[in-house]
Amino acid sequence: MRLLALASRRLLASLPTLLLVLVGLFLLLQLAPGDTVDALTAQIGGGDPAMMEQLRQFYGLDVSVPIQLGRYLWRLVQLDLGFSSIYGKPVASVILERLPVTLLLMLSSLLLAIAAGTALGILAARRVHRWPDTLISTLGLVFYATPSFWFGLMSIVLFSIYLGWLPPGGFEEIGGGLTGLARAMDIATHMLLPTVTLALIFLAIYLRIMRASMLEVMTLDYVRTARAKGLGEAGVLLRHALRNALLPMVTLIGLQAGTLLGGAVVVESVFALPGLGRLAYDAVTQRDLNTLLGIVFVSALLVIAVNLVVDLLYARLDPRIGGRA
Amino acid sequence: MSTLGRFLRNPAGLIGLLLLLLVVAAALSAPSLYPDDPLRLAGRPLQWPLTNPRFPLGTDNTGRDIAAEILHGARISLAIGLVATLLSVTIGIAVGALAGYYGGWVDDALMRIAEMFQILPNFLLLLVLVAVFGSEIGTVTLAIGLVSWPASARLTRAEFLTLRQREFIEACRTLGMRDAQIILREILPNALPPVIVYAGVVMATAILLESALAFLNLSDPNVPSWGNLIGAGRAVLRVQWYVSAIPGLAILVTVLAVSLVGQGLNDALNPRLRGRP
Amino acid sequence: MSTRRVVLASLPAFLAAMQTTREAAAQAVPRPGGILTAHMSGEQRILNPALRASTGVYAITSKMIEALVDLDATGKPVPVLATSWESTPDGRTVTFRLREGVTWHDGKPFSSADVQYNAMELWKKHLNYGTQLQQYLDAVGTPDPHTAVFRYARPMPLDLLLRALCDLGYVVPRHLFEGTNVLENPANTAPVGTGPFKFVQYERGQYVIAERNLSHWRGAPPLDRIVWRFITDRSAATAAIETGQVQVSTYNGIGLADLDRLGKDPRFTVTTHGSEANAFNNTLEFNHRRRELADVRVRRAIAHAIDVPFFIENFLYGQGKPAAGPIPSTSAAFFPADAKPPYAFDKRRAEALLDEAGFRRGAGGVRFALRLVPIPNGEDVPLLATFVQQSLQAVGIRVEIVNYDAAGALTAVYRDWNFDLATGWHQYRGDPAVSTTVWYRSGSPKGAPWTNQWGWQSDKVDALTDQAASETDPAKRKALYAEWLHAVNEELPIWMAIEREFQTIISKRVGNALNTPRWGSADWHDTTLAPG
Repeated sequence: MRLLALASRRLLASLPTLLLVLVGLFLLLQLAPGDTVDALTAQIGGGDPAMMEQLRQFYGLDVSVPIQLGRYLWRLVQLDLGFSSIYGKPVASVILERLPVTLLLMLSSLLLAIAAGTALGILAARRVHRWPDTLISTLGLVFYATPSFWFGLMSIVLFSIYLGWLPPGGFEEIGGGLTGLARAMDIATHMLLPTVTLALIFLAIYLRIMRASMLEVMTLDYVRTARAKGLGEAGVLLRHALRNALLPMVTLIGLQAGTLLGGAVVVESVFALPGLGRLAYDAVTQRDLNTLLGIVFVSALLVIAVNLVVDLLYARLDPRIGGRA
Repeated sequence: MSTLGRFLRNPAGLIGLLLLLLVVAAALSAPSLYPDDPLRLAGRPLQWPLTNPRFPLGTDNTGRDIAAEILHGARISLAIGLVATLLSVTIGIAVGALAGYYGGWVDDALMRIAEMFQILPNFLLLLVLVAVFGSEIGTVTLAIGLVSWPASARLTRAEFLTLRQREFIEACRTLGMRDAQIILREILPNALPPVIVYAGVVMATAILLESALAFLNLSDPNVPSWGNLIGAGRAVLRVQWYVSAIPGLAILVTVLAVSLVGQGLNDALNPRLRGRP
Repeated sequence: MSTRRVVLASLPAFLAAMQTTREAAAQAVPRPGGILTAHMSGEQRILNPALRASTGVYAITSKMIEALVDLDATGKPVPVLATSWESTPDGRTVTFRLREGVTWHDGKPFSSADVQYNAMELWKKHLNYGTQLQQYLDAVGTPDPHTAVFRYARPMPLDLLLRALCDLGYVVPRHLFEGTNVLENPANTAPVGTGPFKFVQYERGQYVIAERNLSHWRGAPPLDRIVWRFITDRSAATAAIETGQVQVSTYNGIGLADLDRLGKDPRFTVTTHGSEANAFNNTLEFNHRRRELADVRVRRAIAHAIDVPFFIENFLYGQGKPAAGPIPSTSAAFFPADAKPPYAFDKRRAEALLDEAGFRRGAGGVRFALRLVPIPNGEDVPLLATFVQQSLQAVGIRVEIVNYDAAGALTAVYRDWNFDLATGWHQYRGDPAVSTTVWYRSGSPKGAPWTNQWGWQSDKVDALTDQAASETDPAKRKALYAEWLHAVNEELPIWMAIEREFQTIISKRVGNALNTPRWGSADWHDTTLAPG
C-alpha cells in the first residue's frame, strides 16, 4: 500500500514535467520541414496533389497548429494517445506490440552489463595494479570506445554468416509456429547478439564503479576488522563490500534508463528488431507525431518507474536512508 | 605531491595523454600533409590500403583518400568533442551552480528542466533536433551539447549543496561578498574537479553520438568526419571492410584516450584514493 | 512396311512424346508446397494498390489482388481480370470483357460493378497517377456483369491505358468499400482480392503472410505461403539472405556492393531480368530561379563536367548506362532509334561554356557556389550527390550538400523551392504520359512532388505533351515523343543522367521466377520453391 502511494505520488510530481516535454516536442516538430504526408509520398515514390490534400485532411493536418495541439491534449486527458499515421491504428496498441522487445533488450542488457561488470570489477580490484587489472580495465574501455553499430555489424558477420551459430536479425522465427519453451529458446538465440552489443557500452562503467567501490570499501575499518577477525575473504566481500559497492551502481541505473533506450535505436536498426527504439526513429523520419509523442510518454513513464525501483532498492541497500522512502 | 605529478605517475592517464597527443598531432598535421580538399575525388574508388603508394590507407567507395580523411577527420572529431563538451559542461555548471547555491524555487525550477531532458532519451532528442534544424555540422555539435548537460548540472549541484554549508562560505557571507563572487571565486574552484573528470565522459559520448548519427545517414556530408566515413563504409562492409574499420579504429583510439585521461584525472584528483598502492 | 521400320520411324516421335510428357508432368505437377520468404525494404502504411500506386505496395498485394491486365515476358499486355478489350475509332470508348467465374476471397462473385466502382471512386479520385490518367473518364457502363465500358471525354490511347493499367488497374471488392470512408477501411490493411494467394496476417513493422488460394481461377498455386519480412537496414537484409532466412529481394532491396558480391555466389541469382518494366533514372534537377542555372550553357556545362561512365563503373558497380533522356532505351514502344546521351563528359567544354556564360573563376578558382539537396531514395542518391560535388569542384563550382530526411528533402525542393541542385530518381512507368511528362509540363500546383517545379516553362514542350497524351495512333504517338525528347534534351531543364534497372537477388531454389518484366509485382501464381 505504501508502495502504491509512493508510486502515485511520484507520478503526480512528474506529470507537469511530462506534459511540458510533450508540448515542447509537439511544437518543436512543427518546425521540421515536411509532414507525415510528405514522408509517405517520398516512400511511395509517386506524388499526386489531390491525394496529398486528401491525406492531410485524413491525418488532421489541415487545421492550425494550436487546434492540433488542443486536440492532442484533449485526447491525452482521456488517456488516448491518438492514431499512428505510419501504421493506421491506435498508438497505444502499436507501442504495446513493440514494448516487450525493447523491455527484454534493455533488461537483459542491463543485467548482463551489471553481472559481467561486477564480476570483472571484483576480479580487477583484487588484482589491483597487476596485469589482470590492467587487462580488464583496458578491455572495458575498448568496449566502451567501440561504436556499438560497428560491433553489432561485425558480430553478425562472424557469428551468423561465417559460423552460422546465431540468426542475423529479427525477434523470432516467423511462421515457425513455436510455442512455450521452444519459442523462448528461439527468442533467446535471436536476442543474444543484440543484448551483448548493447551491454558492452555499459559494461565499462559498471566495471569501473565496482572496481573503485571495492577498493574504497576494502580500506574501511570494519572490513579490515572483519579480515582481522579471520572471516574468509569471500565472506568479507559478500557481506560488506559488495553491499556498499552496489549503491552507486543502482544510482547509475536510474540515470541510464534514458540512455539505454537511445542505444536501443541503433542496436534495433542493426539487428532488425521490431522494438520501440527503431519505431522512434521511424516516427521522427516519417513525422508521425502521435507515435513519437506516445513513445516519449511511455519511455518517460519507464524512466520514472525505474527511478522508483532504484529508490526502493536504495532504501533496502542503505539502511541509513531507509526512513525517507 | 601535485595533481600533475600524481597524474603523470598513473600509467593509464599517461598512455591516454600520449594517445590524445597523437590525435592532436594528426589534426595539426592534416593541412600540411594533405593540403587538398579531403572530400575531392582522389582516385579510383575502393583501392585497398598498401596497394597504391599514393594512398597508404586506400580509397573509400567515393574515391576519396582515406588517409586524408582520417587526418582531417581528427580535426572534426576533436572539434565536435570539444565544442559539444564545452557547451554541455558550461550549461551544466551554470544550472547546477545556481540550483545548488540558491536552493528553493530556483533549484526546483532548474531541476525540473533538467528532469525534462532526462526523461527524454538523449539520442531521441538528438534525432528530433537534427530532423528539425538540419544536419549541418555546427547544428549537430550544438544539438549534442544541448542534449548532454543534465548530468554535469546534477554533479555541480551536489557539490554546491555540500560546499555552501561549509564554514568558509558562511564567513564570506558575513564579510559581505556578493553571491556572484562567492559562487565564482569560492565555491566553483572546489566544485570543479568531479565535473572536469566527467567532461571526459561527455567528450567521448559526443564523438560516439556523432558517429551514430552518421551511421543513420544524419550527419553533415560536407565535412570529412570519421562517422561519415564509417557510414559510407557500411555499404561495402563485407568485402572492403577497411573503409569502416580504419575510422572505427580512429574513433576507438580517440575515445579511449579521452577516457583514460579522464580516469587518470579522477585518480589524481580523488582524495580518498591518495596514498593507496 | 515392316514392323521394325515402323518402330524405327516412330522412335523420334516416341522419344519426343516421352520428353513432352515428362516436361508436362514437371510443369503440371510442380513440387507443391514451401514457404517463400521475401524481403521488403520499406513499409507503405497500407496494402491497397487501388488507393496507392507504389512498387512497395504492389510487391505484396499483387499476389492477393489482381489487376485488369499484366505484362507478358515480351512486355505485351495480357489478360488477367479482363479477358479482351477494344477501343472505338474515336478513342473515347474502351470496352473490357471480364473473366467469368472469378470470386473474391470472401466468396462473393467478381463482376463489372466492381470495376466500375474502382475506376470511378478509387482510381479517379484517390490513386496517385490514377487521378491524372483517368481525369477525363466520364463514366463506366456495365451493360452486363462481365462487360465494363469506359467512356472518356477526350480520346484515350488504348496502348497508354493498357500499359498503365498493369500498375493503376488493381481491383478491390466494391462490397467492402462502397459507403465507407475508403481511407479508413479495414480492408486497406487486411486485403481481400481475387488473386492466387489469400491474406493471413499483417504484423506492423515485421511481416505480412499470405497463403495459397485453393479456389483461384487458374487453380491453386504451388507455394503454400508467402511471407514478406520488413527489414529496413540493408546489412541486416543481406545477412538474412545469406543465411537463408529470406529467399528473394526485389527492387534493389540490398546494397549495390552486396548485390555485386552475391552475384558471384552459386547459391543466388542477381539480375535485372524481371524488372524490365521498371526502369528509372538518376536525376539532377536545376532550380532555374538561380541566375546561373537559368542559362542553358551552365546547365549543359554541368552535364559535361560529370563523368557518368566513370561514376557507373566505379560507384554503381557497372549498373546502368548514360541516359539518352527521360525515355529509357528499354522502352521499345517509345525510345527513338537515334537517341544518344546528349552531353558526353568533356571537362574542357564545360569550362569553356561556363566562361562563355560569363561565370569566370574568381578567388580560389571558384566561379559560384550551389546548394545540392539529395532526395533520399536508395544508396545511389548520396553517392551521386557526392560525385556531383566532386566533379563540379573540378570545374570551379563549389557545391554544398544539404542533407534532409525524405520528408524534409521533398518539402525543400518541391514546396519551398529552397535548393539550387537536387538529385533523386525518376521512375518510368511504361509510358511517358504516366509519370514522366509531368517532370516537364508546366502548370502543376506548387508542392506537387516529382513535377515541374524548376521555374522553367516551354510552350513547345507543353504543346507536345498534351498532343501526345491524347493521340490514339501508336506510330504518331511515338513520333511525337521523339520530338518531345529532342526538345527536352536540347533545353535540359533537368538532367536525367543515368538510366537504370532494378536488380533482384533470388535464391536458386526458387523456380519459375523472373519470367515477366515486372516480376516483383507479378502474382507468382506459378512460382515454386525447391526444398533447401
